[in-house]
Amino acid sequence: MIKEENTIIPGPALQILPWVIPALFISLWMIVSETGLIPTYLMPHPFEIAKAGWIYVFANPGDAPFAGRFLDDAGASLIRVAIGFGFAIIFGLPLGIMSGRLSLVQKLISTSINALRAVPGISWLPLAMIWFGIGIKTTVFLVAMAAFFPIYLNAAAGARQINPLLLQAGAMMGVNRLRGTFAILLPGAMPHIITGLRLGLGISWAYLVLGELTGVPNGLGAVIMDARMLGRIDIIVVGIIIIAVMGRAGDQLLKTSLKFCFKSARRMS
Amino acid sequence: MKPRLAAISKTSPRIRETILEINNLRKVFRINGSFLTVLDGIDFGVKSGEMICILGRSGCGKTTLLRMLAGFLAPSSGEILLNGKPVAKPGTDRCVVFQEDTLFPWLTVKENIAFGLRGRTTDRKAFDEEAERFLSLVGLSEFRDYLPREISGGMKQRVALARVLILKPEVLLMDEPFASLDAQTREEMQNLLLSLWENLSHTILFVTHDVTEAVTLADRVLVMSKDPGRIREEIHVDLARPRKWEKSDFLFFSRKLHERLRD
Ligand SMILES: Nc1ncnc2c1ncn2[C@@H]1O[C@H](COP(=O)(O)OP(=O)(O)O)[C@@H](O)[C@H]1O
Ligand SMILES: [Mg+2]
Repeated sequence: MIKEENTIIPGPALQILPWVIPALFISLWMIVSETGLIPTYLMPHPFEIAKAGWIYVFANPGDAPFAGRFLDDAGASLIRVAIGFGFAIIFGLPLGIMSGRLSLVQKLISTSINALRAVPGISWLPLAMIWFGIGIKTTVFLVAMAAFFPIYLNAAAGARQINPLLLQAGAMMGVNRLRGTFAILLPGAMPHIITGLRLGLGISWAYLVLGELTGVPNGLGAVIMDARMLGRIDIIVVGIIIIAVMGRAGDQLLKTSLKFCFKSARRMS
Repeated sequence: MKPRLAAISKTSPRIRETILEINNLRKVFRINGSFLTVLDGIDFGVKSGEMICILGRSGCGKTTLLRMLAGFLAPSSGEILLNGKPVAKPGTDRCVVFQEDTLFPWLTVKENIAFGLRGRTTDRKAFDEEAERFLSLVGLSEFRDYLPREISGGMKQRVALARVLILKPEVLLMDEPFASLDAQTREEMQNLLLSLWENLSHTILFVTHDVTEAVTLADRVLVMSKDPGRIREEIHVDLARPRKWEKSDFLFFSRKLHERLRD
């Protein structure tokens, strides 16, 4: 049909598409800054931000405030996210799969988990600070807590929606429970599991910053907090951009490595 | 019209002793507090190497019967004996080809066929050879690396057949496996099934609602009635194979089965 022809967008145009909104945004920002519509103490000029970013990332430490802190901060934050996200997976995936398949487990834990889920993540902050003090443990706790729920809920949904005939087919071909779990249940739930992991990782970054705002010496959240106290709005914006970029890269890395590790991730999405 | 006696031959000289025995089987479902007797007084035996068709209209309990034979569903009363031993749970001695598509969508054609073989052998070469052998038996060698969503309905049922034949089950249970295929493909699949059956000498219990299919395939047809599902009649189809539906003796049997289904 002719209609189909019309919907085809040439390849290069598709490559450019994701960058349209950022480009428009930066242009608008430039115009606003150049014309002085918004004072620079509220929103610095993009070139100022670029310069601050350059110094933050590439300059020698000690040359200027915030100079060269990037690697240290990014490394610290990455470790915190990784540990928190790891805990969320270790608890969220098995519990989710079990609660999706075993009605006893579901009855036992789903009410409690949903009650906990209703509590806004930020309310755990004071408690976490009393339990774990200021620092990595509080941050990891917050990240794990926040990432747990989407991982758990999606794993449960994935396990629940599996066609029971697939499990019966497995049983008839002599598959025991253990192999059934790894060869049928997990692959069958994989699209949902991936969704849960991606949502979980996304929210991990949010709670990372929250945890680091409480006053840890390093980390991307800490940089933003320090910059606020010093009135360095350019560094705040740099921190935000870096978190956005790292969040996006982390999501991509997660997707790619899942596809690398699992046939079902490669072939079902 | 009477069947011409000349056309009658010994259809299956391989038929030997009874392998599967179903005694006074009954299944009652409880739906919203009331009871629904789906199957009642089901009694029959299947001999080794035999091809039996269970013919009945939809809703008469054919799938329910097969699910009990496979061990997915417990009978309300009665017993199922395979080689004299009661059937309790699913096992590779009674494999099912389902009505629906139940291939694993994340595995290729070849991986689906080899699925049940994993854990049976550690010899990688033997494993691969066996998978290739069954791939070619169902004529899918060229499609070994395709995913289920990339092949047609008929090809999917070929995979479903191969993945259980490879396990060498004592009894093959087939639940209207070709019902959703077009007429041409269905005929191809019936011929494929017959040739595999003749070469591998399986015992097959084939469920269908299609009279022509039953006459094409069966040594013996068990006609079911509905509400509750019972076996109303047993008809031996003494026709030489291959059977052609235009032949008068074929038509004799289809007419007879049509009548039995109707009243
Ligand atoms: N799990 C079940 N619970 C309640 N009723 C069922 C169940 N399975 C089948 N039935 C009922 O049993 C009857 C026979 O179903 P089925 O065995 O699928 O028939 P067929 O395969 O011959 O079309 C139908 O009326 C159906 O609604
Ligand atoms: Mg059915």
